[in-house]
Amino acid sequence: MDSGAGEGSGFSATDDYESLIATTDAELLKRAWQNEKAAPEILRFEVSLVQRSREQIQLMEETVEEFTKSGGDPLTVSLYQMDLDRTLFLLRSYLRTRLQKIEKHMFQIQKTADLWNRLSKQEQKFAKRCTEEMEQHFEQSVLSKLPDRYKSHLKQSVISEEDDMVPEAQMDSYVICKSKQFLGAFQLDDSGEEKPVDLEADDLYALRYKSIKPLVESGQVDLV
Amino acid sequence: MYGKKASELIKEFASSEPGQLAAFNNDLCSQVIEECNSHLLHLQSLLRRMQEEPDNQNNKNADHFGALIHHLSLVRNKRCLMAYVYNRAEVIRSLGWTVERVLPEEIEEKLSLSEKEYFKNHSATLQSYTSELDLDLAVDMVPPKDPYIKVRVLDEIGNVVLSDQLANLARHAILFLRRTDAEQYISQGLMEELTG
Repeated sequence: MDSGAGEGSGFSATDDYESLIATTDAELLKRAWQNEKAAPEILRFEVSLVQRSREQIQLMEETVEEFTKSGGDPLTVSLYQMDLDRTLFLLRSYLRTRLQKIEKHMFQIQKTADLWNRLSKQEQKFAKRCTEEMEQHFEQSVLSKLPDRYKSHLKQSVISEEDDMVPEAQMDSYVICKSKQFLGAFQLDDSGEEKPVDLEADDLYALRYKSIKPLVESGQVDLV
Repeated sequence: MYGKKASELIKEFASSEPGQLAAFNNDLCSQVIEECNSHLLHLQSLLRRMQEEPDNQNNKNADHFGALIHHLSLVRNKRCLMAYVYNRAEVIRSLGWTVERVLPEEIEEKLSLSEKEYFKNHSATLQSYTSELDLDLAVDMVPPKDPYIKVRVLDEIGNVVLSDQLANLARHAILFLRRTDAEQYISQGLMEELTG
């Protein structure tokens, strides 16, 4: 799998090996999986990455089958199998983590267009059904028995100004992150109270997720 | 004391082990709902009084504050009830990841009717997502160390066609199975993994 389709960066000087390794699909999948596990909110669904990974897994499975049929060296077969298993695990765990995040924040995701657009088509269907089931469950067990102006599952009562019963993702939680390049002085919050922090390449930092959110989205910073 | 029953409900949930459910406390729930309804009656009568006698300065503040207290207690009871239902639903959802379709008896008797329905619906939703993706998400919960693992069969299962072999899963048999095949049996408790 690691020898599979690289993303083809230019071959130049000293970091061509590293950049080639860094951009193989396996590496990308691993990074997406790590980011997803560490982030408190749901991140953008990597449509093309997942698609390519599945195609490669398919190819790999066929190769392994042919190999075993033609009586190949059992050690090689088992190595290929291990590689296949590990990639499958990454893919499954990535999708599972996302589903669990959707389950946890279903109402917030449904309300916020930005979050909704980060889901894949199937995930959107899943999220919709989740919210419907939850609403129905609430209705049946609690809300139908409460007085009229208190029946909403999103607002505490009719006079609430906003949807105050929707649990939201904790954007203030701390995450450990690593930057790939030197990013210079970075302002951690809007009010300018904290001094700017120098983000060096390959150093580990523990920061609030809210501060580095745009960097994670653009791929400059990875969560660990 | 307003709100005491609701907090008892929450305490009951909090004192149970994480991931375990106690029986759904229908009685306490209905008591809390009754309390809500009585709050509503008080609230409505106070509001009516405020409307009908806008010039009665003596009681105005008392009525206002009384109405506010009733409203806030009602809302607090609602929050407690919903938190109770929501957190139990969370536990039920996590069951859906490990248990698949059918609930074991001991768990089923602890759920209310609505919760049983919720579990069914949720499993169906998960099922339709996995079939759309064509990728089983319930296996591979732990990162793989070996492609094959050694298992001991705990219950008699008989002859089974697995992904790469035809195996006779007799009781106490020790076999080498593919990890993905073995996991479904392990999660049901029919097999155990032998390490070392």
